[in-house]
Amino acid sequence: MDEKVKRESAGFNRREFLKISALGVGAAALAACAPATPADVAPAEGGAQSSKQAKDSYKMTFVQVQPHTVSVAWGQGIEEVSNVQTNIEYKQVDGQGDPATQINLMDTAISEGVDIIFCQPADSVALGPSIKKARAAGIPVITLNIDAPEAHAAHVEMNHYFGAIDIAKAMGELMGGKGNVVILNAPPGIIIRDMRTNGFVDGMKKHHPDIKIIADQSAEWDRKKAQDVLSTILASGKEVNGVYGVNDSMALGAVDVAKTKDLIGKMVIFGNDGEKAALESIEADELSGTQYTDVWQQGRLAAALAIGLATGGISATSFTNQGHILMPYVIATKDNVGSIQAFQRW
Amino acid sequence: MLKKINYQSFGLVGFYLVIVIIFSALSPVFRTAGNFSNLLIGFSHIGILAVGQTFPILLGGIDLSVGAILGLVGMTTFDLMLIFGLPGYIAIPIGLVVGLLAGLINGLLIVRLKLNPFIVSLATMASFRGLVYAISGRQLFPGLTVMAIKDPTYLAIDGSLGHVPYALIYLIIIALITYFILHNTKLGMDLYAVGGNENAARLAGVNVNRVKIAAYLISGLCSAIAALILTSRMTTSPEGLGIGFELSAIAAAVIGGVNMQGGSGSTLGPVLGAFLIGTIYTGMNLLGVTQYAQPVVAGIILIGAVGYDQFMKERRRKELQAQLLLQSLRMKGQGG
Amino acid sequence: MKKNILLQARDVSKRYYAVQALSEANIEIYSGEVHALIGSNGAGKSTLIKILTGAVVPDTGEVLLNGKQIPHGDTKAALDAGIACIYQESNLVPTLSVMDNILLGRQPTLRMGVLDRKAQRAIVVDLLKKHDLNLDPDAAVQSLSTVQQKEVEIAKALSLNAKVVLMDEPTAWLSQVEVEKLFRSIRKLTDEGAGVLYISHVLDEIFTIADRVTVIRDGKVLLSTAISDTTKSALVQTMLGRQLSSEVNALQQEQAEKHLGFVALECRQMSRAGLFQDVNLKVHRGEIVCITGLIGAKRTELVRTLFGAELPDSGEVLIDDKPAHIRRPLDAIRYGMGLIPEDRRRDGLLMNLSINHNLVMAYLPLVTRLGLLAPDLFKRMGQFQMDRLGIVPPHLEIPARNLSGGNQQKVLIGRWLAGKTGIIILDEPTVGVDVGAKADIYKLLRDLADYGTAILIVSSDMEEVMTVADRILVMARGGLVASFQKGRVTQEQILNAASGEMVQ
Repeated sequence: MDEKVKRESAGFNRREFLKISALGVGAAALAACAPATPADVAPAEGGAQSSKQAKDSYKMTFVQVQPHTVSVAWGQGIEEVSNVQTNIEYKQVDGQGDPATQINLMDTAISEGVDIIFCQPADSVALGPSIKKARAAGIPVITLNIDAPEAHAAHVEMNHYFGAIDIAKAMGELMGGKGNVVILNAPPGIIIRDMRTNGFVDGMKKHHPDIKIIADQSAEWDRKKAQDVLSTILASGKEVNGVYGVNDSMALGAVDVAKTKDLIGKMVIFGNDGEKAALESIEADELSGTQYTDVWQQGRLAAALAIGLATGGISATSFTNQGHILMPYVIATKDNVGSIQAFQRW
Repeated sequence: MLKKINYQSFGLVGFYLVIVIIFSALSPVFRTAGNFSNLLIGFSHIGILAVGQTFPILLGGIDLSVGAILGLVGMTTFDLMLIFGLPGYIAIPIGLVVGLLAGLINGLLIVRLKLNPFIVSLATMASFRGLVYAISGRQLFPGLTVMAIKDPTYLAIDGSLGHVPYALIYLIIIALITYFILHNTKLGMDLYAVGGNENAARLAGVNVNRVKIAAYLISGLCSAIAALILTSRMTTSPEGLGIGFELSAIAAAVIGGVNMQGGSGSTLGPVLGAFLIGTIYTGMNLLGVTQYAQPVVAGIILIGAVGYDQFMKERRRKELQAQLLLQSLRMKGQGG
Repeated sequence: MKKNILLQARDVSKRYYAVQALSEANIEIYSGEVHALIGSNGAGKSTLIKILTGAVVPDTGEVLLNGKQIPHGDTKAALDAGIACIYQESNLVPTLSVMDNILLGRQPTLRMGVLDRKAQRAIVVDLLKKHDLNLDPDAAVQSLSTVQQKEVEIAKALSLNAKVVLMDEPTAWLSQVEVEKLFRSIRKLTDEGAGVLYISHVLDEIFTIADRVTVIRDGKVLLSTAISDTTKSALVQTMLGRQLSSEVNALQQEQAEKHLGFVALECRQMSRAGLFQDVNLKVHRGEIVCITGLIGAKRTELVRTLFGAELPDSGEVLIDDKPAHIRRPLDAIRYGMGLIPEDRRRDGLLMNLSINHNLVMAYLPLVTRLGLLAPDLFKRMGQFQMDRLGIVPPHLEIPARNLSGGNQQKVLIGRWLAGKTGIIILDEPTVGVDVGAKADIYKLLRDLADYGTAILIVSSDMEEVMTVADRILVMARGGLVASFQKGRVTQEQILNAASGEMVQ
């Protein structure tokens, strides 16, 4: 006689198998049986409806890449405008820098039946299918700074290309029309990277053909990485007269390096975006200049457009290609930085 | 007849249902079909990665490179289709082979060089990711940055049957097949043996090296499958695709009851673990929990899940002690 | 039965570090015979076994089975050739079932690697019945007691249908009943023509079961003869190179000044549900108390509770007549207690660290200056201990796992000698330890007691209990049932008390 002590069976357990199959089938069944979407908004499948009824409250979600000075400032601008309207619920979610996460967040927003989606795609092409889905559900999508190839309501961006040309012009002037320039760039595959770089390159070619671009390396939008990259380049002994950071964070990284190596004043450094820290750095005679866009204003404009669309009951299916709004900008240098007011510094 | 598996998955399933009920009660959107569908779509690939990760962890090892392998396979198929113009039905098998090769490299390095799996997979994680950037079609041909994959076979990978996404179907099939392998084949038995006591297994004639390599091959293959699903969904392959996925996969596996010391666990738990993670994040999202607090809340809930599991284990251990006592008292009568 | 040489090792040598573990050893195992192998720990027995099974590659010599040479260092080849081994350490996979462990690596399969559970179960059930082993094939090995786990190891070796079965201390954890079961199985094996190599320290067992015996000392085979042609003392003398019995007698005669009267350790009404209840015991300074009883009497649990590794449900502990609050081992250590646990590998030694480390680690403050480890002090203390304990091989840097069982035990005891340990608890201290080392350990303990230490020993070894204890406590079914003074009790009385019969 032996006591039945606890058993462990590593063997095939029919009960286990059934349990998990049941779970899987159950999940699918649940998905199929439950009511499809909230009652108020009829989904516009394939363009059946091109307008919606007026509602009591509206929901807006902003799917950002990840928290960053620029996207936080957009959010603040959006909230400023939407808080004043009656009954607008605004939410900002974190894509964790990952397109797959953003797709999931988009899906969630669509199921929630939001009225407007703001989106800063982490990858232009990857978010395309999601935007298409939103459109099929009748939800207008407004992209910020980074465009996506599917037709959607509008794209509000800083003036990447032309702004970069003007940066090149201003930078070249400060450099005296000649010298070597290093570009601290974004990681590949993001469309604004190409726009800001091409603009710069074209601008140099047009205005200062004697200036040579000797290096173009990725510093991943990041200040610390920029420090490392520039230090390495300087250590190789090449003479560097100018540095273009494709965003302010990287340009400020270059400033950090210049400070330690006592190159302030000998190296012309330009950024792009126009953050508060950059403007202060210009005033302190460290950073030479940047392309300043009022990002809060960008957020406000996007919100205004969105609210108009939502409360006007315009369904996304009526858009054939996206509207395009370019933000005004200023090339801020020591001369004119003072004119940028405190309430404009984000 | 009490089964160990029963306890663990019972605890986890119960916990999961409680979470689902709470979120469903608090958020009307949560309990819609659309939301569950999103959950399944959004986290099935993590489930697949978690199932793959189960194998190295069962051996007492780990595979940190699954995210990088995912990126590599995605970029490979992207390049093949958009640079070389190959059709999807050729790119897909090649992608799978790349995943297997990557797993093979991991396995060989661990077995031949006798290096710690943590270190090896950390190194391959970096190397594979570097390779992704190096072969990136979008870097070599900037025009590809805005070009989408249009191959119909490839795009068909990530579709749905009504509200049920194909990704879930792949996940269930993979989970069942791997479950079968683990519990009904010699390979599975050998895996548990090596994980439980490698020396004993070796002395008993188990081909330890082959078993280890097999585990990493499976992990690599699962990464490849997840890659196909995601890149089909996105119609492109970003260079950073997969960064950080390994942590979710490992978390899902551990929550699913796969013991990091090796030798115990199965592939059904990790599936639940993946959906648990997904449910928590989605639920918080829908409840409007601020994005800065989300990781904290998620961490607390997950500690709860694992802590509960440990508590159950400890209770079982005490029960076992009591049972052994009874048994020995009875055996005493036989002159023991 | 016609006897022919089954397994043979010829001129096998192996060197580790500066130590020659084996030199030109020869051994022959005939079919149908049980061949005993004895020698002190460190003499080379384990090395020889590992060479025979292919776990270790010899420097010279060869291994032949039925006249054919077997490749070195290939465990699979040895297994396939028919050489099975029950090692001293556990080679079971704790998370798998009994069934899966018995056929580890050899589970029967159908096509494509799918396991044939039915066939496997049939084989295992058959085997267990044939050898009268009471095990549940589906139980998880980690849920079994040590004794049952050993039975699984035995079943595993028997399942191989091997031509030769090597057994390294197979009876170390077994009770009388199980030992007899094992012997029956061994006889079944030899009846079927297999050969058995049996390593043990228990001379009684050897004279019961073996046909021939070989003695190894310092890596050399000194004697190989039929059991009928020799005696216990002749064997011991060959093994140690000296007479043993005089040492044992001398121990008994050494009665130094005792510090009796001062109670070092006392527990009152100690209980833990399901384990033991209302235990009262006292250990005086300078006294050696042995707690004995049948396996399963919960003695280990009792001493672990005294040491603070587990918490009691009720009861109190007093040290030097003052109440002691022991919630964890660290508290016990602070009170001057030391515990040498049952499973020295799992719970005692730091296997990968050197002898020096293991000896000194409990009292690091003694070898540090201003918080930094002072290498000279460290080494000196280690050397002092090592000499005092007679550890072999006498090299401080050797990792603990390379020592034989007896020497490991000495290191563990030595660890607690470094500081002011007033109370030492030992749990089955000489399991798997050879006769010579045992005597050394007993002398050590006696020295300690004379110095004033209170010593509490849990032991199932009757010989040991009768030899070394000043007072004998018997535990049965979770309670202390008897107490005897040394010299005034017989083994039979102890056994009776242990099985719960009336005490005279």
